[in-house]
Amino acid sequence: MFDITLATWQILVIKIIVILTVVPVGALVGGYAEHKVMAHLQHRLGPMYPGGFHGWATTLADGIKFLYKEDIIPAAADRKVFSLAPAAIMVPIIMTYLVIPIDRALIVEDLDVGIFYLLAVGSLSTIGLLMAGWSSANKYALIGALRSAAQLIAYELPIVLAAVVVAMLAGSLSLIDIVETQNWPFAIWPPGIGFIAFLLFTVGAVAEMTRVPFDMPVAESEIITGPFTEYSGMRYIFAHMFAEMGHMVAFGGIGATLFLGGYQPIVPIPFLDFIPGVIWFSAKTMFMIFLFLWIRPTFPRVREDQLQKFAWKFLIPVGLALVLVTGAWVLYV
Amino acid sequence: MAVDEHRAPRTTESDDARRLVKARRPGFGIGLLKGMAVTLKHLFKHNTVIQYPDEKQDLSSRTRGVIALKEENCTVCMLCARECPDWCIYIDSHKETLAPKREGGRPRKRNILDRFAIDYALCMYCGICVEVCPYDALFWSREFEYAEYDIRELTHEKEKLSDWMASVLPPPALEEGAEYPGSPTRAPEVADGAAAPVKPVQAEASDAAAGTPERRGAQAAPLGTGGRPADAGAPKEAKPDVGPVPGRQAEAAPAPEGAEPAAAEAPPVQEEEQQAAPSQEQAPGPEPTAEDHAGPGGRTETASPEVLGIQMGAEPASPSPRESTETASPEVLGIQMGAEPASPSPRESTETPSPEVLGIQMGGGPAPSPGAGEDAVGAPEEAETRTPQEGPDPEEVARLQETPGPNVEVPNEEPKPTALDPTEDPKEVYEAVLSDQLAKGSSPEVAEARAKVARVKAERGIARNPGVATKEDS
Repeated sequence: MFDITLATWQILVIKIIVILTVVPVGALVGGYAEHKVMAHLQHRLGPMYPGGFHGWATTLADGIKFLYKEDIIPAAADRKVFSLAPAAIMVPIIMTYLVIPIDRALIVEDLDVGIFYLLAVGSLSTIGLLMAGWSSANKYALIGALRSAAQLIAYELPIVLAAVVVAMLAGSLSLIDIVETQNWPFAIWPPGIGFIAFLLFTVGAVAEMTRVPFDMPVAESEIITGPFTEYSGMRYIFAHMFAEMGHMVAFGGIGATLFLGGYQPIVPIPFLDFIPGVIWFSAKTMFMIFLFLWIRPTFPRVREDQLQKFAWKFLIPVGLALVLVTGAWVLYV
Repeated sequence: MAVDEHRAPRTTESDDARRLVKARRPGFGIGLLKGMAVTLKHLFKHNTVIQYPDEKQDLSSRTRGVIALKEENCTVCMLCARECPDWCIYIDSHKETLAPKREGGRPRKRNILDRFAIDYALCMYCGICVEVCPYDALFWSREFEYAEYDIRELTHEKEKLSDWMASVLPPPALEEGAEYPGSPTRAPEVADGAAAPVKPVQAEASDAAAGTPERRGAQAAPLGTGGRPADAGAPKEAKPDVGPVPGRQAEAAPAPEGAEPAAAEAPPVQEEEQQAAPSQEQAPGPEPTAEDHAGPGGRTETASPEVLGIQMGAEPASPSPRESTETASPEVLGIQMGAEPASPSPRESTETPSPEVLGIQMGGGPAPSPGAGEDAVGAPEEAETRTPQEGPDPEEVARLQETPGPNVEVPNEEPKPTALDPTEDPKEVYEAVLSDQLAKGSSPEVAEARAKVARVKAERGIARNPGVATKEDS
C-alpha cells in the first residue's frame, strides 16, 4: 500500500511512541470517563469547571498537579525497591497494549501467542504491588500488598479459564485470529458458553484492577490506599492512578477483542462493513469500560474472605466446568 | 406454657428463614442486576444538581439563613438578648427625653438603639430571639453568604443586620378562613366591663378611687394612646378645674362621634356639655370653645390624650344613645361618669371645688386645691396666657375627628412622638438618606428602603437624629 520502507529500529521507535502516547491518553480519558459516568450514575454532575466544557481537563489538571508534588520517600523505606515499584506496576500494563488489535493492520505486534502473552504480562504487576507494599515499611501498605497479591492470583485464574475458552473456540492464541473467527462475537455465540466466559472475564478483570466491589487491597476506609499509602506525587499517579486507568482501558480492549468481536462488526451483516474497524473496536472498548464504571457505584465492597471464597469456590469451578463444556462444544458441534 | 414460650420464637425463626429463602429464590445474580438497573436508571434521569456559585437555589421561605434586624421596630426591650441561649446578642442603648407631646405634657423617654450585634460564631440559629421579639424587629432572612475570614468578623452589627432586612420575605398569606389577627375579638367583653359598672359606681360614688374615667379607659385599652392607667401624673398635668371635663367627655364623646349624634341632641346632655365642657368633638371648629370657655382652653390640650384613649377604649362599650337617655339627670350622669358634678368647670375653675367632687374627678387623689394645678406641668397662668389664642389645637381636633370610630386597633399604636424638627422636608430627607446610603455602599434596594423609612419619619415629624434634637436628660 505504501512505498515507505523503514528500518526495523525506526518501526520500533514509532511503535514505542504510539504506545507511550496511547496509554497516558487512554488513562486520562478513562479517568475523565470514570469521573463523569460515575457521577451521572449517582445523579451528580461530576467535575464541571476545569477546561471550561464539562470539566474535560480534569484528569489532565490532576496529572499536572501530581507531577508538581513533592516526591516523598519515607525514611524507613527501602529506597530502591520503593522507587522501582511504580515502574514494575506500570510497565506490564503498558505491555498489554502491544498485542491488542485495533484494526486488522493496526496492531503493534501480532504475536502468535498473543493471549498467552497477555495473561503472562498481566500477572506481572502483582510483583510491583508486593514491592510497593513491602518497601514502604508501612503496615497498611503491607496488608494492602498481601491482599493484592492474594486477590490478583485468585482472580487471574477465572480470566485464564475464560481466555482458555476463547482460545479453544478460536483455535488460536493469536488475537488477530481470535477476532477474525468471531463472525458472531463469542459473548453471543456459542450460546451460553461465550456469555458465561464473558462474565467470568468481566468479574476477573474488575478484581484484577482492584476496583469496587473487589477493592479490598486499596480499601481506603481500612488501609488508606493499600500498597500506595506512602506514595506521593508522580510515583503515586504512576503506581495507582495511571495504572488503574491504563489497566481499565487495556482490559476494555482485551474484553472487546476476546468476546465482542474486536474490530469486526457486532453482527455479521455486510452492510455494517463500511464502518471502519477502529470505530467498532473503540465502541466495544468503551462499552466494556462503561461496564466497569457502571459496576463501581452500584455495588458495595466485598469482604476479604467473601472475595477469596467467591474466586476459589465459585468462579474457578465454574471456569473449569466451562472449559469442559467448551471442549465438548468444539469437538461435537 | 413453657412449651408455648419455647415454640413461639421458633415459629418466627422459621418464618424469617422462609422469608429469607423466598427472597433469595429469584435466582443467583438477580439482585446484582437489579442494582445495576437502579444505577442505570439514574444515568438517564434529569440531573437536579445546582451548581452553587453559578446558580442559586430558590430556598424555602422558611429558611433559617440569618437573622435580620428591623431597626425601627426595636425598642431595646432586651428580650432577645436575655432569651438567647448562647448570649450572642449584644445590645447597647441610651435613653433620650423627648419633648412632651404637647404643651404641659409629660416629657417622654425613648430608648435609642446604639448597637445591635449578633455573634454568628456563637449563634446556633435556634430562632428564639425571632420568636420572642414582641415588636417584630427580628426576622429570619434567607441570606446565607456571610462567611468571614476571621471569626471576630462574624459579629455582625446592626447595619449589616438591617441590610439583611431587604432579603426578608413578606409573611405568608393567611390560610383560607383563618381569623384575621387584628380583629377585635375582645371587644364584647370590654363593652360588658365598661357598661356594667354603672350601678357600682353609683354606689361607690363617695369612694374616690372607684369608677374614674381614667380607670375605665385603662380597663378598656390598657395599651391605649392616652388611656394610660390612672397614674397620678395624668390628672396632675391637667389643670384641676379641667380634670372632670375629660372624664365627662370620655363617656359623652362616643355619642357624637362613634354612634349617631343622638346624645348630643338629647337636651339635658347637650345643655350640660355646652355649659360645662364644650368637647372638641362637638365643636365643629375651635372658635366657639375658645371664645365661650377661655378657661378650659388649656384643658383641651392637656386632656386630649386621655380623652382619646378613653374614647377609643370605651367607645364600643358605651352605647351612647341609651346612656344619654337613661342617665338624663345630671347627678346620675355625673356620678356615673365620675366627673359630672364637676362639670360646671368654667365657673369652678376659679373656685375651689368641693373635696368630694374633686376626689372623684381626680381619680382617687386627695382633694386638690388650685395649688395642685400650680405644681402641675401646665401651670394655670401659662395655660391662661395662651388659651385664648390657641384654644383647642386645630390639629388635635382634626386628629380626633379623624380617629376611626369602632376600630380598636388604634390604642395599640405606639405613642406618636411630637414633631421635633418640623423644618425637615420629607423629600429632602429622602434624597439625603438615599445618597448617604448609596455612598456608604448599601445596595440600591436597601438604600431606597432606608430612605423611605426616613421620609416616613420626617412626615411624622421625627427628626433623623433625635439625640441631637432634644437631649435634655432629666
